[in-house]
Amino acid sequence: MSFISIEFLLFLAIIVYLNYLIPHRLRWVLLLAASYVFYASLSFQFILLLFTSTAFTYFTGILIEKQETKKQKKKAMIVGISVLLFFLGWFKYFNFVNESLRSLATFMDRGYAIPYQDIVLPLAISFYTFQAVSYLVDIYYGKQKAERHYGYFSVYFAFFPQLVAGPIERAKKLIPQLKVEQRLNYENLVYGMKRIAWGFFKKTLIADRLAPIVSSVYDSPNPTGSEIVLATILFSIQLFADFSACSDIAIGSARMLGIKLTENFKQPHFAVSISDFWSRWHITLSTWLRDYIFFPLCKRKKKRSEIYFAIVITFLVSGIWHGAAWTFVIWGLIHGFYRVFGDATKSYRESIASFIRLDRSPVLHTWLKIATTFLLVCFSRVFFRSDSVAQAFDYAKLFLSISSWSPVGMINAFEIFPLLDLLLFIFYFIIFQMFQYIERNNGSTWAFLSKHTIYTRLAFYIFLIFSVLVFGISGNGFVYGGF
Amino acid sequence: MGRLFIKLTIIIGVVILLFMPVNKFVKDSYDYNIDHEILAFKKHPYPVDIINLGASHSMYGYYFKPTGLSHLDLALPSQTIQYDYKLLKEYGEHLKPGGVVLVSISQMTFANSEAKNIGNYYKVLDRSDIEPFHLIDYYSYLYLPGTNTGSLTSAVAGKLKNLRWDSHQPWANNGKNYSGRKYMKIEDQYREAEENNSIEPNVKQLREIVDLCSEKGYKVVLTIEPVHQSYLDYFDENVMNRLVFQHIEALNLDVPLLNYMSDQRFVDKKEYFIDPDHLNSEGRKKFSWIVYEELKRMGYL
Repeated sequence: MSFISIEFLLFLAIIVYLNYLIPHRLRWVLLLAASYVFYASLSFQFILLLFTSTAFTYFTGILIEKQETKKQKKKAMIVGISVLLFFLGWFKYFNFVNESLRSLATFMDRGYAIPYQDIVLPLAISFYTFQAVSYLVDIYYGKQKAERHYGYFSVYFAFFPQLVAGPIERAKKLIPQLKVEQRLNYENLVYGMKRIAWGFFKKTLIADRLAPIVSSVYDSPNPTGSEIVLATILFSIQLFADFSACSDIAIGSARMLGIKLTENFKQPHFAVSISDFWSRWHITLSTWLRDYIFFPLCKRKKKRSEIYFAIVITFLVSGIWHGAAWTFVIWGLIHGFYRVFGDATKSYRESIASFIRLDRSPVLHTWLKIATTFLLVCFSRVFFRSDSVAQAFDYAKLFLSISSWSPVGMINAFEIFPLLDLLLFIFYFIIFQMFQYIERNNGSTWAFLSKHTIYTRLAFYIFLIFSVLVFGISGNGFVYGGF
Repeated sequence: MGRLFIKLTIIIGVVILLFMPVNKFVKDSYDYNIDHEILAFKKHPYPVDIINLGASHSMYGYYFKPTGLSHLDLALPSQTIQYDYKLLKEYGEHLKPGGVVLVSISQMTFANSEAKNIGNYYKVLDRSDIEPFHLIDYYSYLYLPGTNTGSLTSAVAGKLKNLRWDSHQPWANNGKNYSGRKYMKIEDQYREAEENNSIEPNVKQLREIVDLCSEKGYKVVLTIEPVHQSYLDYFDENVMNRLVFQHIEALNLDVPLLNYMSDQRFVDKKEYFIDPDHLNSEGRKKFSWIVYEELKRMGYL
């Protein structure tokens, strides 16, 4: 049961209806059952792992809290995190490490005996493991009390709207909301529906329309440089539309149940720097990495070089979290480098901007920064999208080649689209950009719309639903669902 | 809540009103009704002399009416060999004793394992033959084809045939662009099939078709339809050996193969083709006569 399906909408409608029908004390049972049914419908074979991880984290949390000394608490936390990371490491990284060691042994002319293991990656393991780690660390630091109600804790661990691809929630935000009686609220229902509709719009009319076009270039044996440039830019749009759509549907579904999840995106492609980008892209992962990797690494570090080292390590973890492949490791390192370089050269860049009087045209200066940041992000995504390191370097070279950016080549590259598909994509992309433009200027497009007449609002909702129904493409899973 | 109910009713009502003409447009389109001849046959079956199986090359390849043969065309676009088998099992009983089954072999026969237009078979086959079968897809395809973007795009593309890049027109650059794109597509498909180990089951399926024919007493002939020179430039002997002939040879079948792929009567005559690998009505009439005469000469008719 994918988010993008009639089955999910019916499932959600039934759960929302039942949620408000039954007494509050029974709602956690409903939500837990719904979450496990949802997970089982997607990945039945790993439901046991989800149960085990939930129970293990629950009891470890209590164990940490019960320890008397800080040292004992720390020991319990480290054991707990190690077990959780062992599960993640076994399922997600075993073959990556194994194959890397094999390549190294072959390179050094040594024998290597451990064979390739046929391991399937359990759905959502990266997401719920990070939630579990944050829960245990927060208990250790006393920021979170160990939850004693197994039911509420299990719902926090497996809450179906955000289980598969986030947002990665903290227990202190989600569990109290589950415990408070959520009353049927008109605003919540309507807002939830709007967010879901907008998620469907982005996924079916932008992301899934672009997916085959991008694949046709990246899977092609000899794409031109201009095609790589165009496909990479389109992939960035696809990835944002895809992942933010998933978050929209998660946030909308939870809101219909009265639960407010954390926003995961703030128009990241309009970031003015790489650090700004990471405060707008996959916000719940960025803040998780900041709180549980970067801050501990920076503890008592004062030298700039030590902070830079912590930044690179944080981005390395981010890369490895995304996927068990060297392409993701390089992608993470590129962002670490961007971040360090950006920080180290900030004053020089400001001086240059001042020298060439760019700072006197703030609008132009801002747009230049947005364009530069976007292109830097696009370049890194060559590594994110490529199937192998060799392919990534070939395509990166093409991306950086000046001839790839020739206007004639770029115009010809648009022929990767069938013409009809291009026209449809342009139309819906303009709508998408208008939505974002209104959001940038008004804070919320929904609030902006609410100031207009009922006819305007209804027309917009009808347009959204009709477009998804008629022109929406479905069938592809979410990119981040694979992590 | 009453407010919400009224709004939702209005939104859904208007969406349905707007959707109805779109749905009708798709339902009436050529591509959506591409199986209409098989459906008509299913309603009023009659004994036939010859059946052809295969994908679009075969579908656009045969028209035996002028020869006097009664003919059932079971070929549909992108048809996999699995569906060739299923259709033959379903409709083979209408073949006259000693009737002929033409099994068209194309460049993608052994690489094509996923039926792209599964909806084409919803009405012509039994549900149990459809794989994968999803109830929601089934009913939405039959009653709400407007929601199926693939069907809608085909319907719109059918009406706006010239809405393509100049370089994407079938005969742009004398057919080389089209043939080149097709070559890349088939190579990709073949590579993927190799990775997924789906070539062997397809090859096996061909043997099962031949076995079924011999069990039922049908005469079976493998055929390859003519293509234009621009197409032949990409699918030369080496490529065809790799994609097709090595697999057929490995089967060691005791059935004739009529290979007209590079037939000189067609190869440089654009007037017989819609595009470099599909015959037009004139081409298929001419080709069907050639096949008819050859089958007669072989004693199959």
